[in-house]
Amino acid sequence: MVSNISHYLNRFKASLKIDHTIRDGVAEELYTHLEDRTQELEDKGLSREEASKIAVQSLGSPELIAEQIYETHAQGSWKEAIFSALPHLLVALLFTSYYWQNIVYASIILALTVGIAIYGWHRGKPIWLFPWLGYYLLPVVVSGILLLSLPQGWGWIAAFIYIPLALFVFIHIMRQTARRDWLYASLMIAPMLVTFTWFSSLGKGNELLASDWAARLQTNALWIVISFIALAAATIAFIRLKQRRYKIISLLIPPLVILFAVITASGGNICPWGWLLLLFALSAFSIPLWMQARAYE
Amino acid sequence: MNYGRELLKGNTDSLLLCLISRQPTYGYQIVKELQKRSNGYFQFKEGTLYPALHRLERDNLITGKWQILPNGQQRRYYYITERGQQVLARRLATWQDFSTAVKSVIQPETT
Repeated sequence: MVSNISHYLNRFKASLKIDHTIRDGVAEELYTHLEDRTQELEDKGLSREEASKIAVQSLGSPELIAEQIYETHAQGSWKEAIFSALPHLLVALLFTSYYWQNIVYASIILALTVGIAIYGWHRGKPIWLFPWLGYYLLPVVVSGILLLSLPQGWGWIAAFIYIPLALFVFIHIMRQTARRDWLYASLMIAPMLVTFTWFSSLGKGNELLASDWAARLQTNALWIVISFIALAAATIAFIRLKQRRYKIISLLIPPLVILFAVITASGGNICPWGWLLLLFALSAFSIPLWMQARAYE
Repeated sequence: MNYGRELLKGNTDSLLLCLISRQPTYGYQIVKELQKRSNGYFQFKEGTLYPALHRLERDNLITGKWQILPNGQQRRYYYITERGQQVLARRLATWQDFSTAVKSVIQPETT
């Protein structure tokens, strides 16, 4: 039979979606508090069962404590918020300045992103890490899609070797992130949402990429910059907001802005492959949010 | 709205800083000390203490350290930081001024 104290602590832990080291630390504090109170009541002659029942009642709702602890730890500093938004701003800068076509600048930003993502991953996954991680995963996924368009024969090799490997890396990082918090998974996927949504407008007929894709991308540079700036603003809001429901709302705004921008820029002219990519990007972004909504039920 | 509860809510941080400044202490001891010193006036759900302690720690006013007791049990003791002492001193001075001003207003005038 699960004791009153264990049941209480399980409810507390299930409600608190923060770094597990912090969560376990607070749970340990609550445990010693409950043990102290139970012991005191037992010394007054109560049974263990009665004493622990009173102890958990005195502590109050575990869900409420979890919510208040979450608000304390989930709000990042301004420094963290700006650092989280930095990769979005760097990509926006690439498009404002035509540098996205320059292999040197693009490679420097890619190397910087990979380095920072690996550093953050091995340094306790701080709150600023997840947007960087999204850009780290982006080339992994995009390479797989591009490999599929190789001449016949080569495409299948890519499908059987590269894609399973890339999926393994993607799922591993996604699972680790979602274990921390489903919302961080959405934050991580957000750069893919923007990229794939824009990618979806670059096809023609049955081709994933039309021959004039680079020119089209440059024509839409202003809309692309707006998309990444919207994402940067949403990221800052996400990090700075305390309450979980407001964090969710902040994540829902960029997809609407980006969809509007893509449809306006392309005049709704998206090829069948593009619609498929768009659907993939939207589902990858929405699934973590949906899981979060289920967790609330 | 319970006026007493609102007053306690507005001053929780100062009360906690004050207790922690006297000696390093832990959650359950803080609850007992608050009840003892206020003669049972301060009644609250004990769990609300922990978010308040973590907020003070996040703001670098106190710091928590785990200590292992002889019986193997772990306790998290809280210590006031230098910044916490400065903030507490300012708040106590403000509270003294406020309290004196309130007393002067509500006391019947002596002729």
